[in-house]
Amino acid sequence: MSGLHNQLLAAHEHDDREGLIVLYTEAADRSNDLIERSFFLTHAFVFALEAGDMRARDLHARLHDMGRI
Amino acid sequence: MTTNISSVMRPVETANGLPNEHYVDERVFLEERDAVLYNNWSGIGVEADVPENGDAKPIEFLGMPLLLIRDKDGQVRVFQNTCRHRGMILVSEPKKIEGAIRCPYHSWCYSTKGELVATPHVGGPGMNTHKDMPRSELGLYEVPSYIWLGVVFINASNTAAPFEETHAELLERWKEFDVPMYHGGEDSKFELEVETNWKLAVENYCESYHLPWVHPGLNSYSRLEDHYNIEEYGRYSGQGTLVYRQLTGQDGETFPDFPNLSDKWETGGEYITVYPNVLLGVQRDHAFAIILEPKAVNKTLEHVHLFYAEPKVDEALRAKNATQWKTVFIEDIFVVEGMQKGRYGRGFDGGRFSPAMDGPTHCFHDWVANQITNHRQQLAAE
Repeated sequence: MSGLHNQLLAAHEHDDREGLIVLYTEAADRSNDLIERSFFLTHAFVFALEAGDMRARDLHARLHDMGRI
Repeated sequence: MTTNISSVMRPVETANGLPNEHYVDERVFLEERDAVLYNNWSGIGVEADVPENGDAKPIEFLGMPLLLIRDKDGQVRVFQNTCRHRGMILVSEPKKIEGAIRCPYHSWCYSTKGELVATPHVGGPGMNTHKDMPRSELGLYEVPSYIWLGVVFINASNTAAPFEETHAELLERWKEFDVPMYHGGEDSKFELEVETNWKLAVENYCESYHLPWVHPGLNSYSRLEDHYNIEEYGRYSGQGTLVYRQLTGQDGETFPDFPNLSDKWETGGEYITVYPNVLLGVQRDHAFAIILEPKAVNKTLEHVHLFYAEPKVDEALRAKNATQWKTVFIEDIFVVEGMQKGRYGRGFDGGRFSPAMDGPTHCFHDWVANQITNHRQQLAAE
């Protein structure tokens, strides 16, 4: 996870919105913990929502299915 | 501090102007902020500031943080630029909102229509809802706004009658100009920072008395006797000319006219203040707006914008026109700054008005005094 962690930090530092959506989604997919997974999905969703990115809809659906939104 | 303004509301023949404190005292400046500028329809910008859907521009108006935005369906709106969560400023520089407005603090998100659409982690990590956080009740505060002649007006206090009602007579007077107007673009706007109270800019704009003295260049073709006063007490005031002359380019080209104007406008032009702080001018082939932004009791930023009848008018002529108006408005600066300095003279009693020439200026003073009186009465009744 440390490689992904570093990538996320870099994406934040460079305000790389595409990277943030992709990397937070990937972090969620790697996690088997409900809270951790929904935490990362939330971040991916918020950055997608802000960007007007179509992926926001799927991310919202995933959070909804998990009872987290 | 309560100033004595009863003499301002006497007939023009015997009235005094507003007392010095209304130009130099910070406390009165704040009183006028509430009574005059917030309680009425004040100009804060132009529609052209947000030309495309999603464009957002933060504006600070007398300390109030606002967000001018064109929503995803094209409607121009004004919100308080403050997150409903912890009061963070939402947008700190002009930007395009692609999807949602995200607060930079805890990432609460709002649609371009002001709806709260996401509250990340509000119910704990990864839990994005909470029963006590109803999103439908926590949208952005929208400030009533109205667009007229390209200018965005707001009523910050949300207590004024609708714009169309408040300014019904003026809208009727200028209904021929209620047509699409096109901002000339970057070369058709400029700002002038002036060391004066905002009201002095209004007062100078409203009257033609000063034209032959301060603008001798205009007097060569636009003499004092070619002008008339516009004074509608309780509503608006300004001046008109009977000899507006179109600007021409090197080959005699002119700007296109606004469509279907009556004969009055063949050589007519009118220059009126939409109380409290928007100075408008209309002529057959272009219009302009000067939005006065009061920065302090003795400092005003004038935002000048020029509008045309068609989206693309001749570039060279457009530049010439902007230069011409800028020259005129700069000529006025020493006057409004000089009147500001004059008001630190303790014996000055607000001055007197020429009944023949200063009616439009007194009309404005009378309106301001009435706004303040009403405000004081309202506060006293609470």
